[in-house]
Amino acid sequence: MRIITEAVAGTLESSDLLVKVSPSRDKTLEIHVASDVMEQFGAQIRRVVDDTLKGLAVSDGLIVIEDKGALDYAIRARVQAAVLRGAACEELRWEQLS
Amino acid sequence: MPAELEFYTVDDGELSQEREQIKRLLSESDLGWDSRVETFVFCKKGAQLIACAGLDRDVVKCVAISPAFRGSSLSLQLGSELLKVALERGHFHLFLYTRPENAVLFRGWGFYPLVEAPDRVTLMENSPIAIQQYCKDLQALRRPGGKIGCIVMNANPFTLGHRYLAEIAAEACDWLHVFIVREDASMFTYTERYELASQGLSDIRNITVHHGSEYIISRATFPGYFLKGECTVDQCYTAVDLLLFREYIAPALEITHRYVGTEPICPITNKYNQDMKFWLEAANSRSLSIEVVEVPRITRHGSPISASEVRRLLQNMDLRKIKELVPESTMNLLISRFGDQRKSEMTHGVEH
Repeated sequence: MRIITEAVAGTLESSDLLVKVSPSRDKTLEIHVASDVMEQFGAQIRRVVDDTLKGLAVSDGLIVIEDKGALDYAIRARVQAAVLRGAACEELRWEQLS
Repeated sequence: MPAELEFYTVDDGELSQEREQIKRLLSESDLGWDSRVETFVFCKKGAQLIACAGLDRDVVKCVAISPAFRGSSLSLQLGSELLKVALERGHFHLFLYTRPENAVLFRGWGFYPLVEAPDRVTLMENSPIAIQQYCKDLQALRRPGGKIGCIVMNANPFTLGHRYLAEIAAEACDWLHVFIVREDASMFTYTERYELASQGLSDIRNITVHHGSEYIISRATFPGYFLKGECTVDQCYTAVDLLLFREYIAPALEITHRYVGTEPICPITNKYNQDMKFWLEAANSRSLSIEVVEVPRITRHGSPISASEVRRLLQNMDLRKIKELVPESTMNLLISRFGDQRKSEMTHGVEH
């Protein structure tokens, strides 16, 4: 799956996160995570993001995350929503979203 | 039960009863009304307006929260609403002006500082890497040499004055980078201006003509430039534009000198030239100084050649006089675009 258009999911509010995706200019997958709890949970957040992108088979795109202390399943849901919007995905394969 | 917070969006044309309330809210934050704001996001609690944030195309401004509601989560809700509204209007990449002491609040909105004019203003953008990506693109266009010059021009349209300045600069430098202002707010379109400058400079071997960007004299970095009618140059904005040049663009291309024509006519451009010496050379900055070289304008029949003079002559359809001020490539475009108009005016007996 490739990000072909700019898209956003989530909010900046506490316990949520904002995920912004946009097309990559050099066909790479680039991920930036900023979090209020970066020191404690940065690595864990990054792992959830990576796993979610892998589950969706995202091959290229720019993924920017502003995390406000969201729990893992919120992170997963927001990343999925942003990617599916940005990939202009019409047909959902639900088993990928588990 | 306390009243619920209610967020809503109003486009400038539809503001009515809110206007006075917004002004009061802004003044509580020492902010003034900005007529360029096209869209406001408001937050009301009952009948009371407690927060607002404005959008001028891709620039966020006029963000204010009533003092009694600061320190709550209201700011983040307001930020989320504003980002949603901006996206609906097609603006994904946003800029934001704030006072330096408030920059930390907007980190919470996903904005990152670009440059700071101390005690005045900080320009931020809502991407952690957009400017770095841009600089990386520029780095690929670096040219070797110890003296690397730069000219930023609008070229509206390209004249013999632009040509003269570029010749002087190219002669004095190992390489000359010329940027064409990208914003389409001029008589000639960006494509036309870029083409004319490229053609008019094509025979000088040590010049690269670059596409402009939102980081060089754009509506975002220097709004005053595009509002010449008002004849007010905001000191803060020239600082922001010039610091972006000094701290990002110049290092990316290893630019050591910036060339500029003296400006006897337009007060805005003249002010910009004066500010240039301060912000590029004298001001404290994490980046090296860039030497500003002011070159006296070339004259024809005693008056300086300028694009604004060409535009003035165009209004009178005085193509004969224009011919002395522009290179052939520009003349060809003017004839193809305005020549017919002139003929039709002549047949109607309107000769100026």
